[in-house]
This record gives sequence, structure tokens and C-alpha cells, in this order.
Amino acid sequence: MSNNKFYTPDGFTDQLPEICAFKREAEGKLRGVFAGAGYKEIETPGVEYCDIYTSTDLVKAEDLFKFCDQKGRLLCARYDGTVPAVRFAANLYKDEPLPLRLFYIENMYRFNQMGGGKQSGFTQGGVEFMGACGTEADSEVLALAIESALSIGIKDLQISLGQVRFFEGLTDQFGLTDEARDAIRTAIQQKDSVTIENTAREAGLNAQDTETLLMLIEYQGGAEVIDQFRSRVKDSSALSALDDLKEILEIMDEYGYLKYITVDLGLIGSEDYYTGVIFKGYTYEVGFPIIGGGRYDNVAEKFGRKMEAVGFSLSLTLAITALMRQGLEFTKEQASAIVGYDRNIKGARAKAIALARALREEYTSVILDSCGMTEEELDQYSDLNNIPASFFVNEGDEE
Amino acid sequence: MITIALSKGRLAEQALDILEAAGYDVSAGREKSRKLILEDENTGLRFIMAKPADVPTYVEYGAADLGVVGKDTLLEEGRDLYEVIDLGFGKCRMCVAGPAELKGKLDTIPNKRVGTKYPNITRHYFEDVKKESVEIIKLHGSVELAPLIGLSEVIVDIVESGRTLYENGLDVIETVADISARVVVNRVSMQMKADEIKPMITKIREQLAKQEV
Repeated sequence: MSNNKFYTPDGFTDQLPEICAFKREAEGKLRGVFAGAGYKEIETPGVEYCDIYTSTDLVKAEDLFKFCDQKGRLLCARYDGTVPAVRFAANLYKDEPLPLRLFYIENMYRFNQMGGGKQSGFTQGGVEFMGACGTEADSEVLALAIESALSIGIKDLQISLGQVRFFEGLTDQFGLTDEARDAIRTAIQQKDSVTIENTAREAGLNAQDTETLLMLIEYQGGAEVIDQFRSRVKDSSALSALDDLKEILEIMDEYGYLKYITVDLGLIGSEDYYTGVIFKGYTYEVGFPIIGGGRYDNVAEKFGRKMEAVGFSLSLTLAITALMRQGLEFTKEQASAIVGYDRNIKGARAKAIALARALREEYTSVILDSCGMTEEELDQYSDLNNIPASFFVNEGDEE
Repeated sequence: MITIALSKGRLAEQALDILEAAGYDVSAGREKSRKLILEDENTGLRFIMAKPADVPTYVEYGAADLGVVGKDTLLEEGRDLYEVIDLGFGKCRMCVAGPAELKGKLDTIPNKRVGTKYPNITRHYFEDVKKESVEIIKLHGSVELAPLIGLSEVIVDIVESGRTLYENGLDVIETVADISARVVVNRVSMQMKADEIKPMITKIREQLAKQEV
């Protein structure tokens, strides 16, 4: 029989105290950013019915960590923060007036996903802004995404910003079949110009329209990208998508965050999940985006409450991996002081307890030795562990 | 510094040729040694020599920014990458092959056994394209043996000239996909190192267009 008792399962790791401390601090900063903007934290159970993901076609069954309840119903570990938050807003919070501003900082579990800094179990922090539409709501969430990454110390941040309605409108204008649209969607996601050209040729597109599709994978940049596309589209939905992006850029400029943003109209999402603005955030040293977000107006109605929504999540685990690889040194937090006492002196212990308590009022971390170390041993121990102050009580009750 | 993962062997040589023709100093990559990492600080290029099947992994995880690898490996590995250029060399076909008398009769055999080095491509082709279940037998080489000694009815493998097949009394029965070498790029590198990677892609494309003329 194999014995796995020594190991953590594939895709999961223990965290060292110094990383744990850094992570808790980062969580605190995220909480500060989210709560500071008026978002309320929710906690979802971490175990869900698979149905919330699978019957809604949001996540494939094979990507979930699955188990059973006593009645044989399929359960899964929380896959993301958004879907449980939507379930929450559509049920427990259904009478709460809109808009709702919710946030979460929790562990997510994904089957088939690890490597390159990715883990099967990881922590995400994110917000969901529900019952709000328009570019200003989009911008509120985008600004929070940037602010949250900056708050935890990510300096080299790059946000790609797209609008899925542009691609939908463009393909409507070109009169593409669903099949051709799907083929081109996949090709754009892979920046595969060969397939785009072939599919466009088969669909009978003219040279200019084919070029427009190819531009989706080539053209990224500032507001000028929006203008380059504008002259090439007629579809009203695609044009309004461009207007939306332009407005978001203006608002981001007011936030002072424009420098982080690249317009990328080839960012179109893998499924039909996103319905409007879409963005991803990148930094150096991890092979995957640390931020993902966008507008998902059609998810809540699957849970019986029709409301627009926009949100994002930041993978704290990936972000910390990136920071470590970017050279962040974690300080090993040590106790500020240690208190020992002479066991042979009556009353010394009571004095030591009182002293430790008093010190704890002032310092974050004070050890009270309970191993009976002598004064010499106590000094050695504090030297070894870089504890700046050691106190030894060798006086007892006065007789 | 741009890290480029190359598939050890002929594909690596051809990839270096096209980079050189596109105006890059690739002398570091040509160094004849057993070193696996060939780096030149002056040119800002670092080449890593990897097993072809590992190239998509290096690139997906961001250990390499860019990679050159055959489409067969990309199809088999199914990695999350940008596939930006079809380099046109390393051309061959992924085929279903078997005894010549099976030509046109492949669909008449129920519950086929298929020997292959490419189980994912094989599964995708039979299940998603041909809508049938097959038994896949994973092999590591000399795949042509399998139908000859009755391990499987057919095989799925790379066919270049077809000589190995013909000499063993086998023939191509169906084509699964056309294969050639591709340039792949990590999704984050494409954003974070756009200033270096995008010009490189453009230069390679221009060079390819020149060679075609």
C-alpha cells in the first residue's frame, strides 16, 4: 500500500511562517482596499453543489474537485469567488437593494491546474459589483483591480483591456456563421493568424475585413488603437464597444492609472461568460495573468435574479510567487522579547507572567519560557533566534 | 533578455537559420557544446535546448518566452499559448496508417485498436472528428510494428516521405492534420516583453515572406 502521509497532494503546498505572515498582511491590504471602497466581505462555505458550476455551463465538471454528500449528490470545492457570490446575491441577499458591492478573500480549488506558479489550491481576493452597469461601474472595478495589485507591492503591472462586444459586433457585420466565428475566436485567443486567414477566406471575406480580423491579434496600445479600428466597423454594437473603451480610458486617466493599461481588442474571453468589458493583469516572473475580470451580465439570471454585474479577482498566491521571483525578501518575523524565570524561586513565575503580560501590551510578540531555561540558556536561545530582548526573573516573593 | 526554447535537433538549426536571416545574432545558439543553456548578454538572447515535447511546457509556464516546435507536439500537448507563426519547415502529415488493403475501409472495423506516440491527437481525431471510440495503445517508437504483428489494426503517426510505411507494407489511410514548425509565445511575455517580442515576430514574418518569393 502506498503511503502518502508525508506529502501534500499534487498542486497544494504548506506555507512557511514568513510567507504566511506576508500573505496575511497582503490579505489585510486587499481587505483595506476593498472595504475602503464600500465593498462588504462575504464568506461562502467552500463546499458547493456541483450544479452551481455545471448546470449553469460555467465550469466543466472535470475541472472541479468533486465529492458526495450523504444523499449521493455531487459536491465540489469552491472553484471561484464569483459564482458563489452570485448565488449568495440571488438567494440569501435577494431582497437587498441594488447595487451590491461584495468582496471575498478565499481559497479556490481547481482540478487539472498547476505549474508555472499555478496551484490547484490558491487564494484569490476579488470584488463583485452587482446591479450596476455602464462604463463608470466598469471603471470602478478596474481601478480597484489596479489598486489592489499595487497595494500588495506589484510594481510592474500591465493590464490588457478589451471589450467582447466588439468582436461579436464585428463578426455580425461580416455575417460569419457560428462555426466560423468560433474558429476565429479560438484563433484570436492563440494569436494564430494562419487559421484566421484560412477561415476568413473560406467565409468569403474581402481583404479589408480579413485585415481587420488580423489587426485584432496585432494591434495593442493606447487610445489610438480604438481609432484605428473605428473606421473599419459599421456595426452599432461594435462601435458602442469602442465608445465604452474610450470612456473607460478617460476615467482611468482621472484615476492616474492610464499608464498601466493597454487596449487589446483581441482579448475576447474563452466562453460566453463575459458580456462587455474584459481585462487581465500581468506582471513579470509568472507565466499566467495574476488578475482576471470583466462584465458578466448574464450569470445572475441563471440563479433567478436578473442583474448586471462586473467584477475581478486577483490570485494572491500567484502574485506572491511573482513577488518572490522578483526578489522580494521575506523577513522572518521573530518574537520581540522572551521572558524566563528561575523555577526554584517561589513567586518568580508569577512575576514572570505579570512581566510577559505587561510586555505584550507594548510588543506584538513576547514568549514566556515554559521549558525551564536558565538565564544562560535563555540568552543563548534569544541570540540564536534573533530575539532582541530577554528578561530573566530571579526574584521571588519578598520574605 | 528573451529566452527561446528550441527543439533539439534539425528543427533547432532551422529555427536559428531563420532568426539569423531575420537579422539576429544567433552565434550563441550555434555553439557546439553540450550546454543546455546558450546565452549571449550582448544580443540579449538566451537559447535553451529542450526535448521537443517539453518546449510547449517551458513556454506555457513562462520559463521560456518563445519557442519553436512542431505542430504535432502542440496538438499533442494542448498547451495554453500564443501560436504566432507557421515557419513552413519541418513539414509532414499526421496520418492514420495501416495495411494498404484497409484504404477506404477504415470505418468498417468496429472497436479499432490504434497504436500511437500521440494518444491525445488520436483520441481527439477518433472521438471528436470521427465520432467513434477506439482503444488507444501508447507506444514510444517503431510504431509501424504494431499493425504488422497484430498489436493494433492501425497506427496514428507522423508521415514525412512514407518510406518506412511502404517498406513495411503499410500505407496512409487518412490524414489527421498537416504539420509544420511553429513559433509559440508565452501569454504573459507577449504583454510584458512586447517591445522585444513583437519586432522579432514581424522580422521573422518578413523574412519568411522574402523566402517565399
